[in-house]
Amino acid sequence: MNTPSNLIEKIFYDDDIVKKFTLATMIWALAAFLFGLIAALQLAYWPMNGNLEWITFGRLRPLHTNAAIFAFGGNAIFAGIYHSSQRLLKTRLFSDVLSKIHFWGWQLIIVAAAITLPLGYSHGKEYAELEWPIDIAIAAIWVVFAVNFFMTIRQRREKHLYVALWFYIATIITVAVLHIVNSIEIPVSFMKSYPIYAGIQDALVQWWYGHNAVAFFLTTPFLGLMYYYVPKAANRPVYSYRLSIVHFWSLVFLYIWAGPHHLLYTSLPEWAQTLGMIFSLMLWAPSWGGMINGLLTLKGSWHLLRTEPLIKFFVAGVTFYGMATFEGPLLSIKSVSALGHYTDWIIGHVHSGALGWNGFMTFGMIYYLVPRLWRTELYSKKLLENHFWIGLTGILFYYISMVTAGLTQGMMWRAINKDGTLTYPDFIETVVRIVPLYWIRALGGALFLVGFSMMCYNIYKTIQLAPADQKPEAQVVTRSGFDEISKSSHRNLEGMGLAFSILAFLAIAVGSIVEIYPTLSIHKYISADKIQEPYTPLEIAGRDIYIKEGCYVCHSQQIRPIVSEVLRYGKASTIEESMYDHPFQWGSKRTGPDLSREGKKYPNLWHYTHMMDPRSVTQKSIMPNYPWLAEKDTDFLILRKKLSVMKTVGVPYENELVANADIHAQKQALEITADLEKNGAPKGLEKKEIIALIAYLQALGQKGKMP
Amino acid sequence: MSENKDNGKNTENFHEYDGIIEHDNPLPTWWLWSFFLTIIFAFIYFLHYEIANGPTLTDELKVSMQEIEKQQAVNVTSSPTETEDSLKEAFNKDGMLNAGKALFESKCVACHGPLLQGSIGPNLTDKFWINGAGTRMDIVKVIRTGVADKGMPPWGSVLKTEELYAVAAYVVTKQGSNPPGAKAPQGQEAP
Repeated sequence: MNTPSNLIEKIFYDDDIVKKFTLATMIWALAAFLFGLIAALQLAYWPMNGNLEWITFGRLRPLHTNAAIFAFGGNAIFAGIYHSSQRLLKTRLFSDVLSKIHFWGWQLIIVAAAITLPLGYSHGKEYAELEWPIDIAIAAIWVVFAVNFFMTIRQRREKHLYVALWFYIATIITVAVLHIVNSIEIPVSFMKSYPIYAGIQDALVQWWYGHNAVAFFLTTPFLGLMYYYVPKAANRPVYSYRLSIVHFWSLVFLYIWAGPHHLLYTSLPEWAQTLGMIFSLMLWAPSWGGMINGLLTLKGSWHLLRTEPLIKFFVAGVTFYGMATFEGPLLSIKSVSALGHYTDWIIGHVHSGALGWNGFMTFGMIYYLVPRLWRTELYSKKLLENHFWIGLTGILFYYISMVTAGLTQGMMWRAINKDGTLTYPDFIETVVRIVPLYWIRALGGALFLVGFSMMCYNIYKTIQLAPADQKPEAQVVTRSGFDEISKSSHRNLEGMGLAFSILAFLAIAVGSIVEIYPTLSIHKYISADKIQEPYTPLEIAGRDIYIKEGCYVCHSQQIRPIVSEVLRYGKASTIEESMYDHPFQWGSKRTGPDLSREGKKYPNLWHYTHMMDPRSVTQKSIMPNYPWLAEKDTDFLILRKKLSVMKTVGVPYENELVANADIHAQKQALEITADLEKNGAPKGLEKKEIIALIAYLQALGQKGKMP
Repeated sequence: MSENKDNGKNTENFHEYDGIIEHDNPLPTWWLWSFFLTIIFAFIYFLHYEIANGPTLTDELKVSMQEIEKQQAVNVTSSPTETEDSLKEAFNKDGMLNAGKALFESKCVACHGPLLQGSIGPNLTDKFWINGAGTRMDIVKVIRTGVADKGMPPWGSVLKTEELYAVAAYVVTKQGSNPPGAKAPQGQEAP
């Protein structure tokens, strides 16, 4: 048969782009870890924000998570995908121009995020905080990446796609779908927009996105990297091809359904909560399929731990993956979620994944890549060894302190005396108890950063000492697999890039549609006898300040139907109460108490005093001061546009209110200011942000009317 | 269990990519079974709660709340009825004032000031009262149930009865103390 298999070709891989992404990974990792450490220190000791609004926890936390996921994780993925795909497909990347646009575009997006997040431009949706112009840029660059990747597959010299590539394909398709669907929003101004979804819709779409950002940005691409770099570094065969098939398809199909496990016991319809829980449980085995294939690939290479210490990062990384994917389903069981949700247990859980799995896998990959890319030896194996042990100690300090803090606080929140009252009715008691653990967590984070600094030095020296001549070397390749005739249908599918990608898309589409579609008609779930009033213009202004300052990262607005919650905060939250919330602000963590029924609980002056210095009303509070709220003016005029956008997305405002939104807001602001002044607050606050924020806080839980 | 049954026998189960050899070991039995078990569990769980009308979270809350309310009711009925005289007697117990002062300083000064002169909340040393007329019964009631409209939180679920009395007793002793910087009178003058 006349096949081109015998043809010997000389090609050049594009390793320059891999080098660029690798270095970017290192730089952004440093930023992400540093932001994390400052954030951790602020929780242990509130003045660590230096009284600067830009790095106060509510704004710093989104900066930290975005830097860790999209800057550090993103660049690592791109480096690994571009490096391994060229070799697995035996072809140079499709287009050097697209690769460069991809690289510089992504770095620009990160810089834009690093500027806008500290300034408070935020959607108020976790891991999707970036405002609409940046959202569009992300979508555009992702398409560039996708075109570059799929065209590379098209011109491949290896007929069959290796398992790593399956995971890359699933990643690229799903992240695009998630990002676009979750970012559908209507702009108000250049850097402000409102999502078209409200309340339970927004919650469901957001956590479908948020959960699957973990799945398809931090799990599937890293599994792909594992399938390439672990057998490469250990020089061992991959354990099981059929396990790859079973766990790949079950993972991508099941993962997409699991989002609602972030919303257990909320006002999300219960059928969706139940689906979220059971699909999370079913996800346990498919996740462990990846771990088994990783660890059993390393079986028999334990002697390499001494001679090739970078393998340690892979062993630990895959082990952390196994731990986190066991803990995840566990936390998704409704009764476990009742205890763990809103506590630091969740923070511990994500960091065992982020530091242990994503961090260590990336470190292992970079230690493997850099000497090969720069054609040299690693500068010091001893430093690598030290990095590993110090980093591992850091993760353990972090994880153990956070799980302890979470369990302690969860138990204290729910403790009820024999006479039917709460044992710890003062929320602050439950905070003070865990502050020492916040110090231990900060120590863990610091150790992780120290280890990483060693890596930075090690990599710097390695590159510095590399030979000057870095001219690309030609690779000799032959086409292979094109004449293989297989009886296995999956093997045949692996030879068909397009069909494979379409199937992967269908696998993630099923769960998405089944869960999201029903809630799009939110009115099915609203009881006609419960009337909800929309926020007033001033309250909308205040709500946007609440979002800007990132209040939602520490305060929830969702009372769960659990006895201790009802005793502490009042009756459980309803679907109606958030039906006009674009975006929803249910939150996912209670570093401070729930605020859904904060309205009218305290006088206006209490809120003013509290925002200026929380300790003047709650002695041991760890909340930062917000003095700038009394200095900055509210933009009243833009409220017309804001209300008009709100009306477009379905909030029933009268035309008159929209047209005169600023006048209504100013009137309400004067009323609040008058009350404040009467009770002794400073004069001249009527235009300040603090007044709008107080208006919003006083409206929380006050908008529901029973006829 | 024999591993690598057909290992290397045919190319079907033995692939190579960029030097990576791919074996085709069988799926671990325990792994496969744990997968099946979670699927079976998920199926039964869904049937029970979503198809067969198992209890909803709201139903479960109702049951637990009834239990708590029963406990709280026992507590209320077992405590003696309060009168102005019974409170007077209770307030005079030893150690009441010290306990009251300590509680006031940790929970109340933020709004009423260290000298009860008033700041966020009203002055508690004058004869003017926004709620009630400053009797012991009135003071205990305001502390216990709060005043929702005015931003006085209810302390009945936070403080035990004895503690509540202690705070009220402390407030009563400060009547007419005329502290410096007192907030202007609010409400009605008591007769």
